[in-house]
Amino acid sequence: MTALRKPLALSLVLLLILACFFAPFLWIVSNSFKPQLGIFADVTPISWRTFLPLEPVLENYRTLFERTNILRALLNTAIVSAGQVALTLVLCAMAAYALTRIRFRGAKAVFVVILLTFLLPVEAMLVPLFQVVSGLGLNNTLLGVMIPWIASPFGLFLLKQAFEELPRDLEDAARIDGAGHVRIFVSVILPNVKVPLLTLGLVTFLFSWNSFLWPLVIAQSPDIQLIQVAIAQQGSPTQLPNWGETFAGATVATLPLILLFLLLQKYFTQGMAMSGIKG
Amino acid sequence: MTAPSLDRRPDRTARQRRDTRTAFAFLAPFLLLLLIFQYLPLAMMAKNAFMDYSLLNPGAAKFVGLLNFEDMIHFDDARESLAATFLFALVVVLIVIPLGFVLALFLNSSLPARGVVRTIIMLPVVTSAVVVATMWNFLLDPSNGLINGVMSLLGLPRQPFLTSPNQALIMISVMTAWQQVGFAAILFLGGLQGVPKELAEAARIDGATRWQVLWNITVPLLSRTTLFVVVIMTVFSLQAFAPAFLMTDGGPQDSTNLIVYHIYKMAFVMQNAGYASALSVVLLLIVLGISLLQMWLLRAKWNY
Repeated sequence: MTALRKPLALSLVLLLILACFFAPFLWIVSNSFKPQLGIFADVTPISWRTFLPLEPVLENYRTLFERTNILRALLNTAIVSAGQVALTLVLCAMAAYALTRIRFRGAKAVFVVILLTFLLPVEAMLVPLFQVVSGLGLNNTLLGVMIPWIASPFGLFLLKQAFEELPRDLEDAARIDGAGHVRIFVSVILPNVKVPLLTLGLVTFLFSWNSFLWPLVIAQSPDIQLIQVAIAQQGSPTQLPNWGETFAGATVATLPLILLFLLLQKYFTQGMAMSGIKG
Repeated sequence: MTAPSLDRRPDRTARQRRDTRTAFAFLAPFLLLLLIFQYLPLAMMAKNAFMDYSLLNPGAAKFVGLLNFEDMIHFDDARESLAATFLFALVVVLIVIPLGFVLALFLNSSLPARGVVRTIIMLPVVTSAVVVATMWNFLLDPSNGLINGVMSLLGLPRQPFLTSPNQALIMISVMTAWQQVGFAAILFLGGLQGVPKELAEAARIDGATRWQVLWNITVPLLSRTTLFVVVIMTVFSLQAFAPAFLMTDGGPQDSTNLIVYHIYKMAFVMQNAGYASALSVVLLLIVLGISLLQMWLLRAKWNY
């Protein structure tokens, strides 16, 4: 009997913990489908009405897309995230190739130069980074949002590890056939590291889509605004509060990433566990 | 680096030179961006910490020596902000470590709905800090928030949460812990999967209870992972920005004036970029110290 009761109690505790993680999401999404007046009316007393929109309306989403720049912000964010993923993958893969598959003088020095940047906290560099990027005339451009993060030391390390695991024999045949480094890189190495590339791409996409502080300072003009900044300003006291719109905005900003996560959970989790190593 | 057989050819030096050129061609874009966007800002920050200037007119910068650092000592803002930030980090770590560990144990056991559990606790991790902060603004609302709703359901008194100088910092710590605990659980899970099963089995055969195995074998074996998670969560917390920006404006009474928010405000709102740079140098040194500790921990040999 006790053997049965114990797992039951544990499961209940676990269920309660999971409810704490899940309920806020359910509340946000359900509120985004409620008319303005219904949102706070259902909080006390708490019932299933709190988490379920009984008569769902699309009004919040309609006004969100009509009244605000959110569509533009979503588009900007998609461009920045896609661009950052593509450029990060290319640059990190090239650098990782040089460091793992070519023997050359100065490799150690280069490695130290890259290693040291691991120690620099991004947030502490905010002010000078702003000056550098504005100095290059990239203030209020989408390129300016992504360019500081393309040369990602974390990305390089992740790929370097993957490249090192590939056996030397792999490229020997191609070399005997007279292939140069570019051809070996493109047609021998890259096809063998698809999973690490996918993992790095997903983690990069996650960080890019969710980044806030840097876009906040470097992309202020409304045309260039990114989604997180747009969401943040929506709930700000300078605007007339429209809670329904805020909930709809939060839902729209989160949904693409959650869907991507659900589809490719394994690679996401792997990448994040490895990003922990960077700290 | 002495070359093995492959390079023992007559045209060895020519080939080596060509390889070096190729390698640097492959590395050039990466290294160039690294120099421009990591090392140049670092050098500028070091210089700017000794200047008095604003971002609106950086050309009019004045050299002021150690004045910015003296200001940090003479005024209370830096000390208070750092104290709030460390307290924030401490509360986050104190919640995340035990809870993350317990969740990792669940994930490591033969639970039927393991995949669902993992997905749910990872949802906050992949959600942006902005959305989480917005979400919690409403959850913590003194009059209409869901959390006060739950509390009144349980017969507990309503709480002011973010509007109280005693509660605001705790609440944003709880929120950050809520968001990060799934990440900690995944890291702990990695550690748990590295623990050899034979040890626990042997102890069980010798008559140890589950609790004894957990406490005397599993926990000590995970000490390295635990230290690692502590360091990561601390560094992450020291760099938090969104909660202060979106939920409390650093208040009430500066109780949640996290250091990155303080730096942001000094540079971009107060237009005192020199002082902000000095604060950044201090933050950099603190994080640097912790990161070096982390590297040392990773290198150290911990024997099972």
